[in-house]
Amino acid sequence: MFLARNLVLAHFWVAFIAFLGAILLGEWQMFVRSPLSAWVNNPEHYYRSVTAHGTVMAYVLPTLVAMGFGYAITELSLKKPLLGMRWAWGGFWLVVAGTALAAATIGAGKASVLYTFYPPMLASPLYYLGVVLVVVGSWIWVALMSINLRAWRRDNPGVAVPLAMFGNVAGAYLWAWTSVGAAVEVLVLILPASLGLTDTINAGLARVFFSWTLHAVVYFWLMPAYIAFYTLVPRAIGGRLYSDAMGRIAFVLFLVFSMPIGIHHLFADPQVGAGFKFVHAAMTAMVSVPTLLTVFTIVASVEIAGRLRGGKGALGWVKALPWDNPMMLAVTFSFVMLGLGGAGGLINMSYQLNETVHNTQWVTGHFHLIFAGAIVIMYFMVAYELWPQLTGCAPFSQQLVKVQLWLWFVGMLVLSLPWHLVGLLGMPRRMAYYDYTDPALHPQAWTVSVSTLGGLLLVVSAVLLVYILATARRSSMAPAPFTFSISAHPAGHTPALLNGFALWVTMMIALTLVNYAFPIVQIASLKEASVPVIPIGSR
Amino acid sequence: MSEPGAYAWANPWFRWSVVWLVVLTALCVLVGFVWLPSVHGDFTAQGLWASICRAAGVPAKWSATGAAKSGSTSTNVVLERVMARPGAQDSIGRGATLALNCTMCHGAQGMSRSDAPNLAGQYPEVVIKQLHDYKTGKRESAIMVALAANLSDAEIRDLAAYYAYLPKARTAPTTYDEALPALVRVGDPLRNIAPCIACHGGVDQKLGAPWLEGMPKEYLVGQLTAFQTGTRRNDSEAQMRNMVRAMTPKEIDEVAAFYAGKAPATQAR
Repeated sequence: MFLARNLVLAHFWVAFIAFLGAILLGEWQMFVRSPLSAWVNNPEHYYRSVTAHGTVMAYVLPTLVAMGFGYAITELSLKKPLLGMRWAWGGFWLVVAGTALAAATIGAGKASVLYTFYPPMLASPLYYLGVVLVVVGSWIWVALMSINLRAWRRDNPGVAVPLAMFGNVAGAYLWAWTSVGAAVEVLVLILPASLGLTDTINAGLARVFFSWTLHAVVYFWLMPAYIAFYTLVPRAIGGRLYSDAMGRIAFVLFLVFSMPIGIHHLFADPQVGAGFKFVHAAMTAMVSVPTLLTVFTIVASVEIAGRLRGGKGALGWVKALPWDNPMMLAVTFSFVMLGLGGAGGLINMSYQLNETVHNTQWVTGHFHLIFAGAIVIMYFMVAYELWPQLTGCAPFSQQLVKVQLWLWFVGMLVLSLPWHLVGLLGMPRRMAYYDYTDPALHPQAWTVSVSTLGGLLLVVSAVLLVYILATARRSSMAPAPFTFSISAHPAGHTPALLNGFALWVTMMIALTLVNYAFPIVQIASLKEASVPVIPIGSR
Repeated sequence: MSEPGAYAWANPWFRWSVVWLVVLTALCVLVGFVWLPSVHGDFTAQGLWASICRAAGVPAKWSATGAAKSGSTSTNVVLERVMARPGAQDSIGRGATLALNCTMCHGAQGMSRSDAPNLAGQYPEVVIKQLHDYKTGKRESAIMVALAANLSDAEIRDLAAYYAYLPKARTAPTTYDEALPALVRVGDPLRNIAPCIACHGGVDQKLGAPWLEGMPKEYLVGQLTAFQTGTRRNDSEAQMRNMVRAMTPKEIDEVAAFYAGKAPATQAR
């Protein structure tokens, strides 16, 4: 009873192969700007690499993992075949075609604008078309998730939607609304300029639209990891989910609060009013609530596992935990990185503190810890969990999996902690080289070499991941049926509002309008805000 | 979802969710638009409504005096992408006729045999900008100011179209390795000197930045020195003056020799 096997497998494979390529680029970037290498003679090559690394890691990898995991959840949790299989394949091929188009344009040097687009810089229209295809492919997934949930509801009136599917559809709706910002930016502002229809672009407005997408997209990346926290971790380590309702509350809070906060990326932008910057900063603080709820719930669920295994006393349950279980290891690593990265995030979101770290390596360190660390390590676990279902393989060598997780964890800390340090010292990000011979920079040189070493560990870990997945041996025995976590209170009543999305989606849209409508209208009406475009690689 | 009354005010889940969100939003707005600005002299000088407008990003007045910024401007030309488009055939033809006036110094085909700059293949917006700057006195040259004085806007466009149409001189290599001067390839970040190839072609070619390859070395050294001493100041936002200010005479000589392409490779290092 898992018909979407090939579909899910295709998503994961394309995601991880692109991931492997992009991580090699990341390590190359780290190497050429470290004192271990001479300065890159053509900085354009560096920015080309940054663009490719960012585009794959921010759009292609998480979108494909969320889509693939979403299709798997639909069949495994609703226990019925996926509706719209052909459409799903169509969406997949759109994402693949878009990725190929964007990659070819970047490779040709026609799109070194970084994945955040940065108007008034303009890439070739083919790059934006590639990104649009990826997004349109993912919109098909959003529609299919909604349709499948609706069909299941019709057949199961009054039954609570399984938590995994609830989180999955919350992620889909979040993405649908989130992607509207960048879609408007690309279709209305960037593409006309890139096609040569206009010579100027309202760069401030474009940045406001991108901020609409830029922060909430992080929570779209995060959803699969959170679904794994709630619905895979407790089961995999032999515990119970402490509270099903808490999971639902966390998911709907993400839906409401992750959207209208993106202007905290524009603290240094003069065209946005200080009042709106404060409102967005305050609401950014709100979005830490679902994360804190999740950490509490998952730690409580893990404690249940510890006590079921005979742990006693205030801390005795920690010792009793199954520390040799890869999932136990992964969730621990993930929380450590989430804690460090989250603490750094509080500094980024504070209007004044942000000034000290804005556009420094601190920011790079922050999002690598949170996304590439805490979230991506859970993507690995999702793949390891699903693989026996997808390929019929025997369970993996636990030893190899643990080595892979350790390498990722240690590598990510070694990569990103030095970035935090030098960020505080003011090292700017997005630089192709630094002059370490200068007495002012010389003391920081070693940190860049250390980060390069951390990056190398990550490359080894990524290669190991692909090796483990690719060499999975088919087993003669059928895999055990897939299950999700059992709640500690299985008979608990699910409030009707936590079983549907109407209220939360309405709140999400209303709050976005309150927080974004005025800045958008105001900047759009400023004639002076249009600036000449700068096409990249046009001469 | 189908539970009756889930979306009714009587349902406490619904009621409290809506009330909390509204209260939270109102609080944030009050703090951000009223309370925080109230402790800032800049915001409160003109009353409550003005401070709210300012916090929203639309101050009633942008500056206290309201007077436009005055002072000397380096150039009156606003570079627009439309200037960079190739000219029509008839424009090129008219430009070729007008260019007969220029051949004495700039060469019959735009390749100078004296130390005047080559114009063959020069980007049209560059020629347009410089001629306008001569015309308005923003760039000085006893000969060029007199010649540009009588040119109309259309004639300037025609000249630019003609010179852009001629083939460029190429001397620099198309790949950039350690054999080239460091300032050309990578600049000097800690002296705020950007690499030449970031604007003048190589990595990128920015609007208004001239094609330099094959230019007479004397001309390049002269212009860089003029930028450095401030006798030439028609670069908007002091782009070139800021680049050259920190350069030594030896470095000026090196980059000029590289672009002139006449010096042997060992000297260009």
